[in-house]
Amino acid sequence: MNDIDRLEQLRGYFHTGEMPIATAECLDDGTIAALADGALPNEASPFALQHIAACPFCRRAVASVRELLNDRAITHEIDLLEGRAPGWRRIFKVAVPLAAAATLLVLLWSPSNDDVTHRGSGARSFPTPIGPRGTVANVERMEWSGVPGSDRYRVTVFTAQGGVVYETEGADTALTLPDSIQWSSGARYLWKVEARTGWNRWATSDLVDFTIVRAPPP
Amino acid sequence: MEPWVVELQGGKSDAAWDLFLDRYRRLVFAAIRYYAQDYDDIMDVFARVCESLRENDLERLRCYVDQPGHTAKFSTWLVTVVRHLTVDWFRHRDGRRRVSSIASTLPPLRQRIFEHVFLHKRSHGETYELICSTGEASLSFGEFLKELRATYNAVADGRRGSILRELLGPPPPEQVLVVSDESADDRRESLEFALRSLSPDERVAVELYVVDEMSAEAVAKVVGWSNAKAVYNHVYRALSAMRSYLSSLDGAGRPTGKI
Repeated sequence: MNDIDRLEQLRGYFHTGEMPIATAECLDDGTIAALADGALPNEASPFALQHIAACPFCRRAVASVRELLNDRAITHEIDLLEGRAPGWRRIFKVAVPLAAAATLLVLLWSPSNDDVTHRGSGARSFPTPIGPRGTVANVERMEWSGVPGSDRYRVTVFTAQGGVVYETEGADTALTLPDSIQWSSGARYLWKVEARTGWNRWATSDLVDFTIVRAPPP
Repeated sequence: MEPWVVELQGGKSDAAWDLFLDRYRRLVFAAIRYYAQDYDDIMDVFARVCESLRENDLERLRCYVDQPGHTAKFSTWLVTVVRHLTVDWFRHRDGRRRVSSIASTLPPLRQRIFEHVFLHKRSHGETYELICSTGEASLSFGEFLKELRATYNAVADGRRGSILRELLGPPPPEQVLVVSDESADDRRESLEFALRSLSPDERVAVELYVVDEMSAEAVAKVVGWSNAKAVYNHVYRALSAMRSYLSSLDGAGRPTGKI
């Protein structure tokens, strides 16, 4: 078991299935917003952190607001409101991760460091489906381009209506499909491949479609 | 100072409201659309947000404006309020029925899995046993796990997944897809034991980074650390301190002995 798996397992342990419930002590919207903005005054910080350390309801609220502030549609509106040209963040999203990646590389090089893949906002590579694509006579194999550093791939094949036809995982960049799959001639299928790039991080390819057109029997 | 604030401080609430809405309508809609897909839902939530902000002569807006020193930016505060009202609207309107309707597009077996796991909060093992014992389906445990994972993937998809995450909590990782006869209380108790040695900020950082999957940059902002590197250092040091706990887990995610 590597560190990624161990961390995944730990995350499983954190997941208790409990429903977070608000209490009278829960933080108000102003404090949640200040925490999400990283703008809480020093004197209020210890109390607020102590509360969210023990309150999954408020912790979820802080995490949700951060997610919202990373949503493209919302950042676009905030940029307009604050008089910035929409898209300026993209410059930071490229430049900052490059600098961070260089720092991380140095950190990961250190023999005393855990070999855990850190989760950041750096640029990622994505796997690309190679085949099957378009109209094919039969489907026996699937192949895709690899992603550097990826230790696992997950392939999913869908019907055009979104039903899952086949799903599998493996370390290779190709697979042989089992005979048990009942393909329908003339039907359109879609497939995608996901590459595991870190602990609980998957880079997903575009959906690619193919249609099986079998030659009529002689 | 923004024109709507000037009007508000001048006691002209209606004019302040019109100017506020004119300026922030699109941001409010963007925050609602993060959670809601259906046009009617979006408009109903928007009406609820407006109603709440207008209550008691714009009390909420007035409270923010009257604060002597602002901590969060107004846009962040507004997004926080809209999120709160949107999630409450979904939760209060018809929580369970609404959640069930989200699952209505799933194939029958996945609908049953959804009901057992998400609505009735049954464990995966219990769900498997119920499905087999009631004759709803005949499938091996491996096949069941595949269906279970597909159900999680389907309900966590896109904006529908955003509101479900709020209403039902984060989906478990794949490692939890194994049968565990430990109750949530037992697991939480074991976890509390392991986390007790951490300081509040370290504990918050670990939970936000590990459970909520926030980026290290965002975690650093919340806990007030200088940068992402500080988060990596603190979190991995904290996890190292819990190493003995990790090593005491068996393959199914259960502690094998005393921690």
